[in-house]
Amino acid sequence: MSTDIAIVGIGQTRPVRRADRPLRTLAVEAVQAALDDAGLDASDIDGIITDGVIMPHTVPREFIAAQFGIERGFDGGTSFGGAGNACAPELAQLAIRGGRARTVLYYFGVDWGSRAGGPYGFHDMYPAKMAFEKPYGFNAQPTYFALWARRYMHEYGMTPDDLAAVAIAHRDNALLNPLAQNRKPLTREGYYDSRLVAEPMRVADCCLISDGVGAFIMTSLERARDLRQPPVKVLASRFASEPFTGDDIFTQQREIVRVTGAHRAMEAALAEAGITRGDIDFAELYDCFTISLLVQLEDLGFCARGEAPALVRERGIGVHGGLPVNTHGGLLAHSYLLGVEHVLEAVRQLRGQAGAAQVASAEIGLVGGWSIPDYGVLLLGRDRR
Amino acid sequence: MSDALAPEFTAFNRWLAAGELRLPWCDACRRHHWYPMPRCPHCRASDIGWRAVAGRARLYSWTEVSHRFDPRYQGPLPYIVALVEFDDAPGVRLVTNLVDTPREWLAVHLPLVADFRAAGETPPRVLFRAALTRSE
Repeated sequence: MSTDIAIVGIGQTRPVRRADRPLRTLAVEAVQAALDDAGLDASDIDGIITDGVIMPHTVPREFIAAQFGIERGFDGGTSFGGAGNACAPELAQLAIRGGRARTVLYYFGVDWGSRAGGPYGFHDMYPAKMAFEKPYGFNAQPTYFALWARRYMHEYGMTPDDLAAVAIAHRDNALLNPLAQNRKPLTREGYYDSRLVAEPMRVADCCLISDGVGAFIMTSLERARDLRQPPVKVLASRFASEPFTGDDIFTQQREIVRVTGAHRAMEAALAEAGITRGDIDFAELYDCFTISLLVQLEDLGFCARGEAPALVRERGIGVHGGLPVNTHGGLLAHSYLLGVEHVLEAVRQLRGQAGAAQVASAEIGLVGGWSIPDYGVLLLGRDRR
Repeated sequence: MSDALAPEFTAFNRWLAAGELRLPWCDACRRHHWYPMPRCPHCRASDIGWRAVAGRARLYSWTEVSHRFDPRYQGPLPYIVALVEFDDAPGVRLVTNLVDTPREWLAVHLPLVADFRAAGETPPRVLFRAALTRSE
């Protein structure tokens, strides 16, 4: 018989454009907050997971273990950023089911608000980009996704109004969340007043830049039921990727406008959880840009190719819409911690602790995490005993 | 910006500096690919050479960039980044800048030709411009 696991504690620092203390200090604060939330002591933790690319160079696992006195019997690294945040429960589940760990800590954060080069500098790790793209000024994520938006406009007749609708819906959601970094109301006029940076991408189409850390703690559902918070059950956490590199994925795929891995990860997760898309009450998706949110809705199967603008227009993605998406404001308006904040928001929703942004009778939530070419789907549910 | 060029990348720039556009060519599956890499991304063979393309291409997508994201990029603003597909290397796309192409002509599939005016720079760059000129 397999062992179900649950998320039992969440913690985070307030995301800001530029923090007044180092990333390692923020990580310690977020981990302590997650322990306090769960009512656990650091000595209860026997495994630590984080991403395999960013944290090893900034806040490595042994630093957190040493700061908290954690004796690790399990250690895991997963995909960087988005997919890693959604797939950490997959690793924790394997470890807990396999008897390698009882209670596993995950943390992730960035200081791209204060680090030189920020998110653009992160892509310096790709040698072909450095050699053959950056000399042409194709040197930042907004320029890559501008090519997506232009191509998608050509293929499906999308208009700038469709992008505006996504930006406005996310800002409206952020207004309901006291932790969101951008709580300035956004109107249609305000969207068009926002500066073009890589046409058709405006500042309002781009995610924020943030300093901050999020953390969460996972253990068996059985143990979770004795802890302080209502357990949030992991229904499925699944990783999928495609054989591309960060160098070639934005230019050499047969169709560049698609979210690699999303479809396969989603199908695997739905099958494992034994649910359908119609059972999902809200979705926290990797909205690095307005256009990437739209295409993700399609690759995850919420609508057919080319129909995401109509889904946003007709079904609605606000907290009270037909498909509530990024109920905290997302990467566009809450913070850009590469999706760890999406996991924390999904947990709050399923505990009924999302305040003004609470989705009525939220039973099942989806978190979609992207770290090109990797994708992670996390399905979480209320514990229905 | 590309001081430490990976060894498999240098041939492209050497050909380009000499005014010739050559792309990696797999002798096993007889297809071009991009970028330079140890194994062919189509058939995984490692018999890879370099073969010239004629420099005729079509516009796949583009963006006009009006923000200096990276201070290391010193070109004038705004500028047009284009992704172009070669007529004689199907599926291979190159990132480039467009020159001498009226803004109102920009459309997916616009025919383009390679322009070597920046091939003598460090690093060498190949630009593209509309295949037709205003008078044609």
